[in-house]
Amino acid sequence: MSPGRVALFVTMLAIAVGMLYPFWVMISDSLHTQSQFISGSGFSLGSWRQLSAALPVGRQVLNSTVICSMSIFVILAVGLPAGFAFAKLRFRASSLVFLGIVSAMMVPLQAIVMPEFVNVTRVGLTSGYFGAVLVYAALGTPFSIFLFTTYFRGVPDELVEAGIVDGLGYVGALWRLVVPVAVPAIATVTVLQFIQIWDDLLVGLLFIQNTADRPITVGLAALASGRTTSIPQLMAGSFVSALPAMLVYLGFQRYLVKGLTMGIDR
Amino acid sequence: MKARRLTLSQRRQLAGVVFALPALALVIGLIAIPIGQAVYYSFTQWDGITTTWIGTSTWTQAFHNSDLWTALKNNAMLLLWVPIALGLPLAIAVLLHQRVAGWKIFRSIYFLPTAISWVVLGLVAERFFAYQGTLNSILHAVGLSGVTTNMLGSESTALAALGITFVFTMIGTNTMLFLTGLATLDPSLEEAARIDGAGRWRIFRHITLPHLSRFIQLAFVMTVIALFSALFSLIFVMTGGGPGYATTTMEFLIYQTGFSQGQFGTAALYGIILFLITGAVGIIQLRLIGSDK
Repeated sequence: MSPGRVALFVTMLAIAVGMLYPFWVMISDSLHTQSQFISGSGFSLGSWRQLSAALPVGRQVLNSTVICSMSIFVILAVGLPAGFAFAKLRFRASSLVFLGIVSAMMVPLQAIVMPEFVNVTRVGLTSGYFGAVLVYAALGTPFSIFLFTTYFRGVPDELVEAGIVDGLGYVGALWRLVVPVAVPAIATVTVLQFIQIWDDLLVGLLFIQNTADRPITVGLAALASGRTTSIPQLMAGSFVSALPAMLVYLGFQRYLVKGLTMGIDR
Repeated sequence: MKARRLTLSQRRQLAGVVFALPALALVIGLIAIPIGQAVYYSFTQWDGITTTWIGTSTWTQAFHNSDLWTALKNNAMLLLWVPIALGLPLAIAVLLHQRVAGWKIFRSIYFLPTAISWVVLGLVAERFFAYQGTLNSILHAVGLSGVTTNMLGSESTALAALGITFVFTMIGTNTMLFLTGLATLDPSLEEAARIDGAGRWRIFRHITLPHLSRFIQLAFVMTVIALFSALFSLIFVMTGGGPGYATTTMEFLIYQTGFSQGQFGTAALYGIILFLITGAVGIIQLRLIGSDK
């Protein structure tokens, strides 16, 4: 290797150290008791052993998983037929409706959070998961429809028409002909939404009123705002909450990249 | 024959409407209607239960409220970090694009923080800036033992600490975007320029950068939108908007006004202002992705 290449490699190594810094902090800080942490010497697994007393990790990871799964299910259930409709079953004003839905992508939740919160509370959905699931679904649907519509446009019209002529019906054509070839798009939406919902704080904080139903990210933020919280425990909790999203990312990296750059790399 | 074809087309349109309806209902019910409500409530005294119409006086009051101007000023100050949040990832993407040994592993490592919640990254950043944190250890290690910072604890530096954290959280996404852009660049163009005797900087300036312009625009818009609407988690765990109002941005002001102070009407009004700001930026983005020609 030329000296230039070596310098390049060293620079990249240095950047890697910087990007791995959060993981190093979480792991190293969690391996103390609070008093060891303050004095700066000694190691212990004590904070990990007592973690579940401060943060019900098992229950909260389960809550996060259920909320993510339900939200993604709703997003796919409404997004796939809508994408099919906008790409292949165009009706009068369908491109206008499509544009309207895609524009909703630009509305940040904070801008409408007050009426949203009052509406969802009024219909009694802030107890249990359903309020949060609905809000996540509404926030995730516009982008998913954009992605599905773009993808379905690449499916030949003849394929759909042949299916209809063969008596599959529209539901059958969507389910048996289009969905099977759309697996990469479905995977992209699923991975992207999983990470977004798993990592979110605001919706879980406001739309889930039962402490027991809290997802892990909200539990962690609530623990952090407590004054007497032990930092090693907080870091252990952070690591647990980060792990599932990290694993999903490492396993499905290419779908995530595809989703983020969708629409520009044509 | 002709009549039958017409029926088929009508049936297809009907199916289209039915298929689009659930998604449309969801978006109208949970996004469009709340926008209308927020506009309405911005003209009222509202505590979440009873509303009293008080007209435009809410707006004149809001614009005389120093909290709003502080929040807008904080957002404007944070905008100064956007060039760094774009430049650093651009440099990293160019490095990755050299495809040095093991570059794919480096790529995975650089993007890894992207998967992590900003709640977690905020908690880690707090450890970094803390009195007994990494920043002070580094300062002491390089011989500045007299300098001890507490960036999050001071009104003059807390916003900068938030800005630095924001830059870190955006590195993964923006690097990913730029790297995708670089991958679409035809290598023979650079090769031809090199043969013609162009230096590295000239090649970057006159071939690479123009080619990336679309990607840079998109990254810019995404970064600005994130700055206005995705900092909530960081602020919530790092500073709670403080000290004082030093790190209260628009989105955090909405949360505080509505949920800490119970002034739902004023919070709805602030929401409309945020909506108008991000909407203006969003229109640029819609143009850029040019979704539907």
